[in-house]
Amino acid sequence: MTVAEANPLEAGLHLRRRPDPCILVIFGASGDLTSKKLMPALYALAFRGLLPEKFGVVGAARSDETDEQFRERMKQAVQEHARDPFQEETWEQLAAGMRYVTLDFADDKGEDELRDTLTQLDDERGTGGNRVYYFAVPPSAIGTLVEEIAKRRGADGWIRLIIEKPFGHDLASARELNAEIQEHFGEQEVFRIDHYLGKETVQNMLALRFANGIFEPIWNRQFIDHVQITVAESIGIENRAGYYEQAGAIRDIFQNHLLQLVAITAMEPPIDFTADSVRNEKVKVLKAMHTPGPKHVVRGQYGSGFVEGQEVRGYREEEGVAPGSMTDTFVAAKLFVDNWRWADTPFYVRMGKRLARRETTIAIQFKRAPHPPFEDGGEGLRPNVLLIHVQPNEGVSLAIGAKVPGQGMTIRTVHMDFLYGGAFREGLPDAYERLILDAMLGDATLFTRSDEIEEQWALVDAIVGFWQRDRPSFPNYAAGTWGPAAADDLLHRDGRSWRRH
Amino acid sequence: MAPALNSAPLEDSWTGEDATIAQIERELARLRYESSLGSSQQNLRTSVMTHLAWAPPEWQTAAEETLAGMAERHPSRTLLLVPKPDEPDGLDAQVSVRCFPIGDRAICGEVIELTLRGNRVQAPASLVLPLLISDLPVFLRWRGEPPWDGGEFEQLIEIVDRLVVDSTEWDGLPGPYARLVELFDRVAVSDIAWARTERWRSLLASLWPGIAEVSKVRVHGTPAQAHLLAGWLRSRLHHDLEVEVDEQERLEGIDLDGEPAHFPPGRPPNASDVLSAQLDSFARDPVYEAAVRAAAATPGV
Repeated sequence: MTVAEANPLEAGLHLRRRPDPCILVIFGASGDLTSKKLMPALYALAFRGLLPEKFGVVGAARSDETDEQFRERMKQAVQEHARDPFQEETWEQLAAGMRYVTLDFADDKGEDELRDTLTQLDDERGTGGNRVYYFAVPPSAIGTLVEEIAKRRGADGWIRLIIEKPFGHDLASARELNAEIQEHFGEQEVFRIDHYLGKETVQNMLALRFANGIFEPIWNRQFIDHVQITVAESIGIENRAGYYEQAGAIRDIFQNHLLQLVAITAMEPPIDFTADSVRNEKVKVLKAMHTPGPKHVVRGQYGSGFVEGQEVRGYREEEGVAPGSMTDTFVAAKLFVDNWRWADTPFYVRMGKRLARRETTIAIQFKRAPHPPFEDGGEGLRPNVLLIHVQPNEGVSLAIGAKVPGQGMTIRTVHMDFLYGGAFREGLPDAYERLILDAMLGDATLFTRSDEIEEQWALVDAIVGFWQRDRPSFPNYAAGTWGPAAADDLLHRDGRSWRRH
Repeated sequence: MAPALNSAPLEDSWTGEDATIAQIERELARLRYESSLGSSQQNLRTSVMTHLAWAPPEWQTAAEETLAGMAERHPSRTLLLVPKPDEPDGLDAQVSVRCFPIGDRAICGEVIELTLRGNRVQAPASLVLPLLISDLPVFLRWRGEPPWDGGEFEQLIEIVDRLVVDSTEWDGLPGPYARLVELFDRVAVSDIAWARTERWRSLLASLWPGIAEVSKVRVHGTPAQAHLLAGWLRSRLHHDLEVEVDEQERLEGIDLDGEPAHFPPGRPPNASDVLSAQLDSFARDPVYEAAVRAAAATPGV
């Protein structure tokens, strides 16, 4: 019997994918993302036994903190934000490998201290030099950090870099950042995160399309009239004026989440579910999208209004926002994917802050039945719509025509619903759980590739280019509504309208 | 580990003596309708599977507890069949609709408890068939050792996609495994006793390749677990090994050539979790089948 022989005892075991021993280093550990998302996600993975047995976490940020203070703060974060009940035993196991390093991102001394802490943890925890670096920091800090990491790269173990959005500010800065990273690390070591791709329902779109024989044959211009994608938030900018003033809805949502949803909806079937096969198909969609002209893009900014019964202030009155700010908090656009499958089929997209409710949906509206043979001509009949609820109430519903009971042949539109939670009562994992675990395992399928991100920015740059020349009258929609009237006109001009809510 | 789930279910029920299938169907429809009245929620009937449970009176309480523990995780139409052959002929039914809130809607599962009295025990399939949800998989959980040649068992096997047993509930092992083997080509089989060894099998697999040379295994657990683990090792390693059982209520340890293996990480799942996992499984399990064949082919420990 040789060591190289395949292990016969593993056959049939539901072996969970468990990563190699490693240390997760979080740059920006004092931020909200770490306490609200990353640490609760790590706890959820620990709770389910999905983390490697030999594991460590190092928080790094500018603020002064001891290991003990960091652990205590993270413990509170887990107690407050984790989706699982707090278990002291699970927490203690996780906390035992937790360290904190005060780090000025441009300071060699701090970097050396980080290296020493990691080496020490390697010895204590047996993590073998494997590292996952999570960059929860502004793009301007990433280049320096990447270079410092590369300089101190040891001979043992692998390195993976998880990079949070925003990845650059425009095409030029994204290219520059890609170049800085690629100078030291291969593409297979870089994991650009878009947490929407970690959502179960976004992945379910792939299952819906490619695991069901009934949808793919009609998933094209012949049967689909148009597609509507909505990424709506009812919240405002939540003390993020510094970031949002620079980004606006176009960079905050359109460049990443929205274009990913378009790509997943429009992509061709990949030959398999490996990272490159899936990403190749998504890039083809992004390359095939032509720049919408100025008439096909609507931008907006919210004024004061009412959300869930409470009066809220307008964007320009938010703390930290310039009184004459021209930042967009709403974008709607009519996009086209110029390929054989989608030619002339519009993708209407809209996204924004302080809209009537929180909702992310993809609505596939099919063409009308050509000739309803009923007495009233199918008056109550609307076109079939396949609606994918990404959040909340994750699921899929199909609007179909049905006969109203009684005499005659009156048709009404009804919904057939598949509610995710109704069929699978396992709590849906948070997107960050899936994505952190995938990065530890080296699986980049749900991460954005360099060429993908550059295609996204190219589209944004073209749209923003038009905006340099006009000054719309902001604010142009009241908080708590579905955006400016011009967004409705965008569809009315084509004889269509946004879905009714 | 059970996931954190939503608030308590809303439940309504109907009980009928000497009931008919038509009455049961009518009452189910009424309960579903009434569950949505006076509620702002939209109630959705779940459509995942039909789950049959055959639970003689001595197993009824345990079966009900397990079902209660997994009702929310696997909302399905559940038919609990309680045979009482010594009572006067008849069929009693208790029908309930249990709705669990999810956001602005509620998911409703249905539980139909049928007490089969007297001659009704002879033809359970004829009671079950009209109550199956069309086009969805049917799972049968059989409590205790099945009556291998019994008509009621044979009938139900013919109409289900998967049989779930717990050989820990059987006496005289490994003899009954030979009868179980006869079913493998007719229906996919799950065994709760086997499922409960999974953590330990993962642990033993992690000891490869050293474990390939092991010649003696001592199992501190149930006889079923000892037989199945031994059968698994024999069938996977393709050599015989000596097995001893230190009988315990649950699997508490394994010694390899006299050395105790480390305890596997994590907590053992509860009964509802284990059954719930089996209801997610649709295909035959060739590794389990080989383990049972090997267990059936060896003398008692």
